[in-house]
Amino acid sequence: MTDSVLVVRIALALAILAPLVSVLLIGMRVLLWRRTTSERFVTAVVHSGLLVSIGAGAMVLAGYLGLIGAPVSGDIEFGDWLRLRDFRIPAVLLVDRISITIALFASVLTALVARFSRTYLHKEPGFTRFFTLLGLFATGTQLVALAGALELFFAGWELIGISSAFFIGFFHERDEPVRSSVRAFATYRFSDAGLLIATVMTFEALGSARFSALGGASTLPAMQSTAIALLFLLSAMGKSAQLPFSGWLPRAMEGPTPSSALFYGAVSIHAGLFLLLRVWPILDVSLIARTMAVIVGLSTAVYAAAVVRVHTDAKGALAHATLAQVGLILAEIGMGWTTLALAHLVCHAFLRLGQYLKAPNMIHDSHRLGHTHRRPSWLERRSPRLAARVYAASVHRLRLDDLIDAMLSPILGTARVLDRVDQRVRRALSIESGADS
Amino acid sequence: MSSTAHHGTADAHEADPVSRALAAAHGILPDQGPIGVFIHHNTLHAFQHLPFHEGVQAGAAALGARPYLSLREFRAALAVGRVADSDVRHEIDRALGDRARELVLPGLSRGALWAELTLTDADSDDAAALAYLLRAGSARPCREPARWAACVERVARGPRLTPHDTRRLPRHRDMLVALGQADTDVAVHGELIRLSSGFLDQGQAQVSAPYREKGFLRAVSESYADGASPPRACRGVDDDMRAVFAANEPPTAVIHRMLSALGVVGDAVEPFLLATALALPGWTGMFARLQRHPEEHPDGAAVSLEEFLAVRLLLEHRAVRRACASAGLPHDWSALRHLAPPLPLRHPVLDAWLLFSLATSAQLDAAAILALTDVALATLWDEGVACTDIARRQIFQEAYERSYRTVILDAVAARRALPDDAPTGERPRGQFVFCIDEREESIRRALEEQHPGYITFGTAGFFGVAIDYMGLDDHAVAAHCPVVVTPAHEVHEQPVYTALARHELRQRVRDRWLGWERRAAVASRTLSGGAGLSFLLGPLSGLKTLARVAAPRSSLQWGQRLVSRLSPVPTTRLSAFRVDDSARIVDGGKPVGFSLDESVDRVTAVLTNLGLVRDFAPIIVFLGHGSTSLNNPHESAHDCGACGGRRGGANARVFADMANRPDVREGVRRRGIHIPNDTWFVGALHDTASDSVRYYDLETLPTSLVSAFEEVFGALEIARREDARERSRRFDDAPLDLTPDAALLHVEARSSHLAQPRPEYGHCTNAICIVGRRQLTRGLHLDRRAFLVSYDPGVDEHDTVLERILAAVGPVGAGISLEYYFSSVDNETFGCGTKLPHNVTGLIGVMNGHQSDLRTGLPRQMVEIHEPMRLLLIVDASPESLLTVASRQAEVAELVTKQWVQLVAVHPETGAMSLFQDGGFVPYHPQPMLLPVVERSPDWHMQSRAHLPPALVRSALPLSAVGPRLHHSA
Repeated sequence: MTDSVLVVRIALALAILAPLVSVLLIGMRVLLWRRTTSERFVTAVVHSGLLVSIGAGAMVLAGYLGLIGAPVSGDIEFGDWLRLRDFRIPAVLLVDRISITIALFASVLTALVARFSRTYLHKEPGFTRFFTLLGLFATGTQLVALAGALELFFAGWELIGISSAFFIGFFHERDEPVRSSVRAFATYRFSDAGLLIATVMTFEALGSARFSALGGASTLPAMQSTAIALLFLLSAMGKSAQLPFSGWLPRAMEGPTPSSALFYGAVSIHAGLFLLLRVWPILDVSLIARTMAVIVGLSTAVYAAAVVRVHTDAKGALAHATLAQVGLILAEIGMGWTTLALAHLVCHAFLRLGQYLKAPNMIHDSHRLGHTHRRPSWLERRSPRLAARVYAASVHRLRLDDLIDAMLSPILGTARVLDRVDQRVRRALSIESGADS
Repeated sequence: MSSTAHHGTADAHEADPVSRALAAAHGILPDQGPIGVFIHHNTLHAFQHLPFHEGVQAGAAALGARPYLSLREFRAALAVGRVADSDVRHEIDRALGDRARELVLPGLSRGALWAELTLTDADSDDAAALAYLLRAGSARPCREPARWAACVERVARGPRLTPHDTRRLPRHRDMLVALGQADTDVAVHGELIRLSSGFLDQGQAQVSAPYREKGFLRAVSESYADGASPPRACRGVDDDMRAVFAANEPPTAVIHRMLSALGVVGDAVEPFLLATALALPGWTGMFARLQRHPEEHPDGAAVSLEEFLAVRLLLEHRAVRRACASAGLPHDWSALRHLAPPLPLRHPVLDAWLLFSLATSAQLDAAAILALTDVALATLWDEGVACTDIARRQIFQEAYERSYRTVILDAVAARRALPDDAPTGERPRGQFVFCIDEREESIRRALEEQHPGYITFGTAGFFGVAIDYMGLDDHAVAAHCPVVVTPAHEVHEQPVYTALARHELRQRVRDRWLGWERRAAVASRTLSGGAGLSFLLGPLSGLKTLARVAAPRSSLQWGQRLVSRLSPVPTTRLSAFRVDDSARIVDGGKPVGFSLDESVDRVTAVLTNLGLVRDFAPIIVFLGHGSTSLNNPHESAHDCGACGGRRGGANARVFADMANRPDVREGVRRRGIHIPNDTWFVGALHDTASDSVRYYDLETLPTSLVSAFEEVFGALEIARREDARERSRRFDDAPLDLTPDAALLHVEARSSHLAQPRPEYGHCTNAICIVGRRQLTRGLHLDRRAFLVSYDPGVDEHDTVLERILAAVGPVGAGISLEYYFSSVDNETFGCGTKLPHNVTGLIGVMNGHQSDLRTGLPRQMVEIHEPMRLLLIVDASPESLLTVASRQAEVAELVTKQWVQLVAVHPETGAMSLFQDGGFVPYHPQPMLLPVVERSPDWHMQSRAHLPPALVRSALPLSAVGPRLHHSA
């Protein structure tokens, strides 16, 4: 083992573990030792975790470019994650152009948002929770970016999902954030099943879920590769809020502004696209899946662009503007323009992050810039009635909310019954226990 | 605002219950206009005709809000000594009068019972917690098992305490929720919010709502008629809408029809409709507000509350029917209203605990408790129920105000008792006229501490010049004056002749740049534009964001420096003066600038108000104020209230311009005020967030006065640093040992930080308003809590000046204090909650997250250190003068007699104090006290972050007052 490989190994581990360690430090302090945490302690710990992660990412980049010895790339083995007799899940990380780009990009943006939030969330009751979740999210993105096989990728993917749901429900003392959080969570659960099944199928078909092994997909029967590719696409569609799963995205604006910026302007919303870039060899061989991706991407893009035009709130408009570009990038991937898609993704995230963080400045800006004169569009001049219908459909967002509701209503109905039973039992118990005292 | 003040009461006699409900709703709904201009006002303005406690309780009940702090918060104040037991007992005695001494239990008077209920948690409603504490053996009864056993046994025999049913279930939805069904408002509100935000949008969306020019009901029904799909929960509403559209049904007819479709008839109509109007108060209130103030909705259609409620009821009708049908309940209100579930039974341990607490304080032993008759116990319970939670909080509120009032009045009396210097005839070195704002108290003190020759004044920050002002870069004129005044003049900022060429170039560049910026903002949200700009601007924008977040202050300054290097701002003048009436009047508009007579009037009036009629310093600075912050939808709430939520710099500049003209001075001299030739007025703007001071028109400063100005400038440079330091002590993220220079950097960073939810604390510390001569308060450290209004009763013969001042200051001060009061006592209902999830909507307000009610009032970050109290208005005038003024000024009279402010008269000659309470002035005898003395203010305030009691600052006191033994050192 040469020096550069060793350095890269350590750097890779640090990139993922540093944020995780910071989360554990805070978590233990709060949960095990029941100590109150000062804002200073929390930010110091999480910031250092994130900075170490950035530094480690930079080291990996240096190793990849060959600045510290022989260039390092490809799978880096860390032994087994799980071993049951012959069945083993490898802990393997992957160093290549895409993984390094995404890992560095995500860690820099997360650190930026952490710095922003230190001031923004000052004195907020959920301060510690926010930063703990941020650390968890950073761990998740590093895992997703650097994973060398689908199993580790899935672990990171779930960390992103769970922290996203918690951020949406950050203000859990109100109903609406909790409702929205449940929606996002339910959508994730549904579409993540796609990733899980696809992982298992890949493992079955190729004998390994390593990304480096996906090249073998070209030898698979078309049915099988198409099924796997479609499942991956399903998963990406949920995470990246593509039609028909777009309903949760505007509702995700319930969280504090910096978390909206990080998740739905910059990183999390692009995670689905990243998944597709990672499993590109499988997608590559399935024309059906690629066509689907183009269709879904373009229709989402058109839908979102139409919604942006009618949106009157700053964050909701940005969410849909982001969604439109994400749809476009998905279509680009479907077309096979992966390099363009990667560049588009990164540039777009940088653009949106700034816009999200400045969203509360809307009124200030409009005073400075002056009034924009609205001109009737081509459609409004041609057919006011059709324009009105388009407007209504955009304002109501195609009633996608109702779609999720319909999906969820049996589950929620059961939950409500259980809740009622629970309340009754608790009341009975508390009266009894009170009476005997 | 005043025209609608009694909207609720004036029309209340109308026969039709629908009109009655609508009129009442107009009064109760939040009266906050689009947020771009934030005016502080009494949140419960519609209840101002009632006495304070009745008003807040009625208003809070109507909105489902808390009228006072909670008992828990009050008891916390009790625990830290902010309120004393004795204050509470005093207020109980005052509230109960003679009834306080009647016995309700052997050994327990009613007053003692109330004190027990108010001060302790004798009537806890937390059965689970009590049961836990009893089991754990840490509750008080565990130490007196015999008495406790007796209480448990006695309670078990009955009678039991039956609390009032305070639930309010006036609508189907409330009943459904009470019965454990799903909330129909979720779907109805979601739909309404989307429709209303499109309809009321003032330019945020790229496309405006179709048919909006036809009014809300027509627009919505026509859009459904065009084929819009209904929400799942309101299925069928599209047919209803189509019918409404086809029949062109007027909104009131729709309301009536929907009411009967829901089975709401007779007496139920008014409460039902009012509750319906108050169910989504922010948006409904915006409709009501824009109906009354169409000028605030410039290019939109007529807006009306009726139309909004008609649409609401159409949606609600379907949602309710669906929900009732699926729950197997009747949707007819006359049937549904009787199905309220019974109140859950009160746990016996609560009664026992109450009895135990009362018996302990009455010193009843176990036998006596067991011997209580049923009648005695029932009486006791009745007394307990009569002393409601609200009544106790009312008493606490009075006590909370009383304890602070005592401290302040005693301090003011002690300061007043100090000897003043005999006039030396020495000329003052600098005079500074600030807004009355309590945020300027600290900078005034910082100036006065530097030299006895620095004199400060306070007057309403528009300095008597009510103008429609248009600055060089503004797009339209804006009124710079109190909201109750409509300006009769316009003033424009214009480049001087020699800078015209440069100005034109700058204008061109600027217009083009802003055009690009506007286009980029829109394009980045479109499909192709977003893609293109991502590649073009994405990386750049990322770098910019990084810089703005990592180094907010320097990155902003670098940017500004770059811009001013590239296109320097030209020298400008204001068109403050007009030569004759025929010229320069914009066609059909207002005259631009003031004529000679008008100028003389204004200068004379302001100088008289201030009592600044002799002893003029060489330099007199008039400082307006404003506030700069980023990413802050509530920025305007930090600007000058006397300038209608805008910055007072232009007003100060106009005033100085007028007062410097020789012909104006000549006119003023003829009215008896002689301004010497070697006095110069300078207009300036104090930024209360970044603590910067910007001076205007220094080019015109006479060269002979340069050194005098430089001295004054130096004094202000020191003062603004001290001010920054004093403000910083309130911010938890600024260290207490900041130097003045570091503090200035700190507040500059706050003002330029994108992530800063607290650029400044605004009026958060307001509590007092002192109207009188500054000599009587100079050197008294008031901790930025006092509005300071200059008024000299010696030059006011017929109380005309006092009337002018109180008419302006009373409503403005009370408005600010009451807005802060309500936003603090119930930040979620009266205020707008935490800023962090706020989402700017339609340029008219903020929502929480993706769709919520429009949030009105002040955010939590603006009120978090506020102590909710009514303004303590201390006036240097006799009670008779104040009564005279009140008889001439109805609004002032209302505020005082209904006790929305606490008025204290300090007799100008004798210094005797009298407090207006319970309908008349009652004498207040201050306790003689020794105030702590410090050399300079920072010695006093840089010790802690908490509110501070008054202290004397030796360096700002008259020389004869600083002898030893007068007061003790801190």
